[in-house]
Amino acid sequence: MILLECREITKRFGALEALRRFSFSLEKGEILGLIGPNGSGKTTLFNVLAGIHRPDEGKVIFRGQTISGLAPHLICRQGMAKASQTVRPFREMSVLENLLVPGMYGGKLGLKQARERAEDVLNLLGLEGLGKVPSGEISLSERRQLELGRVLMTGAELLLLDEIMAGLNPTEVEGALRLLERIRREGKTIVLVEHVMQAIMKISGRIVVLNHGEKIAEGKPEEVTQNPEVIQAYLGKPYA
Amino acid sequence: MKALTGGRGVFVFIAAIAVLAAFPLLGLEGYRLRLLTLLFLWISLAGCWNFMSGYTGYIDFGPVAYFGAGAYAAAILMIRFDLPFLAGMVFSGVVCAFLSAMIGWATLRIRGAYFAIATFAAAEAMKQICLEGDRVAGFDFFGGSHGLTLPAPPASEFFYYLLLGFVVFVVGITYLLEKNKFGYGLKAIRESEQAAELSGVPTLALKIKAYVLSSSLIGCLGGIEAYWLTYIIPDDVFNVLRTIQMVIMTLLGGMGTVWGPVIGAGFLTLAGEFLGARFVYDYLTILGVVIVVVILFLPRGVMSLAKRKRG
Amino acid sequence: MILFLQSLINGILLGGIYAACAAGFSLAFGVMGIVNLSHGDFVMLGAFVTYWLFVLLGWDPFLTLPLTLTILFFLGLFLQKLTLNRIAGAPPIMSYLLTFGLHLVISSLALRAWTADYRTLNPAYAGLNFSLFGLILPYSRLATFALALVLLCGLYLFLYRTEMGRAIRATSQDREMARLLGIRVFKIFAVAFAVSAAITGVAGSLVAQTFVVYPQMGLPFTVTAFCVVVLGGLGYVPGTLFGGLILGVFESLATTYLTAGLSLVLTFLLLLIMLIFRPGGVFGRGALE
Repeated sequence: MILLECREITKRFGALEALRRFSFSLEKGEILGLIGPNGSGKTTLFNVLAGIHRPDEGKVIFRGQTISGLAPHLICRQGMAKASQTVRPFREMSVLENLLVPGMYGGKLGLKQARERAEDVLNLLGLEGLGKVPSGEISLSERRQLELGRVLMTGAELLLLDEIMAGLNPTEVEGALRLLERIRREGKTIVLVEHVMQAIMKISGRIVVLNHGEKIAEGKPEEVTQNPEVIQAYLGKPYA
Repeated sequence: MKALTGGRGVFVFIAAIAVLAAFPLLGLEGYRLRLLTLLFLWISLAGCWNFMSGYTGYIDFGPVAYFGAGAYAAAILMIRFDLPFLAGMVFSGVVCAFLSAMIGWATLRIRGAYFAIATFAAAEAMKQICLEGDRVAGFDFFGGSHGLTLPAPPASEFFYYLLLGFVVFVVGITYLLEKNKFGYGLKAIRESEQAAELSGVPTLALKIKAYVLSSSLIGCLGGIEAYWLTYIIPDDVFNVLRTIQMVIMTLLGGMGTVWGPVIGAGFLTLAGEFLGARFVYDYLTILGVVIVVVILFLPRGVMSLAKRKRG
Repeated sequence: MILFLQSLINGILLGGIYAACAAGFSLAFGVMGIVNLSHGDFVMLGAFVTYWLFVLLGWDPFLTLPLTLTILFFLGLFLQKLTLNRIAGAPPIMSYLLTFGLHLVISSLALRAWTADYRTLNPAYAGLNFSLFGLILPYSRLATFALALVLLCGLYLFLYRTEMGRAIRATSQDREMARLLGIRVFKIFAVAFAVSAAITGVAGSLVAQTFVVYPQMGLPFTVTAFCVVVLGGLGYVPGTLFGGLILGVFESLATTYLTAGLSLVLTFLLLLIMLIFRPGGVFGRGALE
């Protein structure tokens, strides 16, 4: 079934057209990779989907309902949640408490149930021992995992992951990929933006390529990497 | 004192309340009774200010607006409509809830800077209404610069116990905030509003609720003060010095903590008794220096020392 | 009709001064993200410097402007290095509280030094004016308005045409990038804040020509600067001129036609309306998040 549909999304910032008539649709259970050079509109698209920006034209339809224009917390409660490397954790709170917030609000759980789910999520992420540690004191890769945990706690069906692997070493990237595959097996759908090319090519079932706010290619990873327009957009940075 | 965290703190608090409740029965009276009553008032004020500024991180620079509005609301209800004090106090709370809901809705949808200055401007505007409103509109409601005189109050013990009860109430709410869903939501807003939004927290609604909670209770306290003093004028009940003191007490003690306002209010009230009357100008300078020093060197207040010691 | 035009003219002349007062506030905010609650105290200090130079040395208030500029520049630099620099990267809460503390210190020290008396600047030409079609146009007001415009132009040229100005703008747009380009960010902050203090001080001199001077005049001017900046757009320096003019005209008309007594209330309501319907300012270019 089609979980998410973008119809002719256009978003302008003053004279700059960050997204132009962008359309695509997403099936439940997919892992979709979104790539494109810097400034191509990937983050803007995520922000439109998550409700941080309202599109100037076009619609976002999630599970049959138009959600474009809703506030971010409402979109989160509907089942679509965004994780990002720029989002800061709740520093004064412990790792566990960081997970309670999305559980109780986004996930609409009671305090006790949220605590249980938080324990499960910590186990899934391999962060069992860190529950009581203040989240300001954890390492970078642990922070990324916590951010992933945050969206998992919301119970969202569709996860938008914005460069959460940035700055991770190859071992950590491998671990992250395994985690994403597990999450998908549990029934989640994922849209992924990454600059770590090998990772995104490996895990995505489908790739969409953006350049200057427009979709220039769409298809399986192998097809997309052969596409001359895509190669040109990256100015000859081949996937090797 | 540093061991005042967690369960032990609750025990010490309850014991302290019991002792304080016994004092008047044991003969406490006069100046010392009034000093403690004043202390309870300040603990309550600082504690209420803490709900909003300490827990959401949106600094309210105009809480005195509600203190004054509450004082006037209670006074007017009691003088012009002949209603008893309790009705007056409740009315104060309701009026302030209404005002703060409106102002909060207008100012909390954007950055904290707007809220900070807009609340300050609100306090000045409300003061001006009470000062000039009668003259402009041609009726006799607020009493202008002459102020209002309330009916005679009961004995001092009444206010002692009423405000002591308020302290228990305010500290109790703060204690609940530390562990319940609403409190977690507020703290999330303070720590990372963007992450909160993306986690499903309805940030605007929560901010307004915290602001209304804080402001309506401050309004009630204003009503109590009006009854206690019997005579109110705008320059007194809308005095910006009250805002300053609420800010410092909470800042010094530790914003966003249960005991911070208590410690800060305790220290400043007692220190103020010895310094304030004698050095009016210097008092403000000292307060200013205290704020600057605390922000630069101990931004999380005295409570942060307690947390550090726990390791 | 004459009354309306007179009121309008007064408002415009007033607005120029308001804009000058607010320019520094917008600059400090745009570059460092600092909401300076002691901003109005620089207006007050500039006013007092001008006043004392006139009363003690007999120096004409217009001629002492460069001196006021310099004194306030160094004062701003000093405060920045002593206090503000240490909270440069911290959450905004800290800057509100810190600058609020500074406000208390500065205004109460001023009160101690100079007492609460109201003072007016009375140069020989104070009351002179000329009439145009029945409208009264005081010379000194016209001069202060012209100077306010010069000040704003000067700031604009500084920001857009000098090396330092460009560095300041680059830093305000992208701190990390500026650092990578070799710009010493803390030095920029110091200069930006000092410039903000300096121009606000000059605005204070202009204010001294028009209003009474007293130690507690700072806080109302901070609120005024804030209102101007909300109208013009927070962080959007060109908008401050229009913000100032709008506020000046609004206050002038409100005082003439409604009542002087409730001017604060009306200004506050204007502020609320702006925040509800157009928080980005009249031009929509102000910073919101």
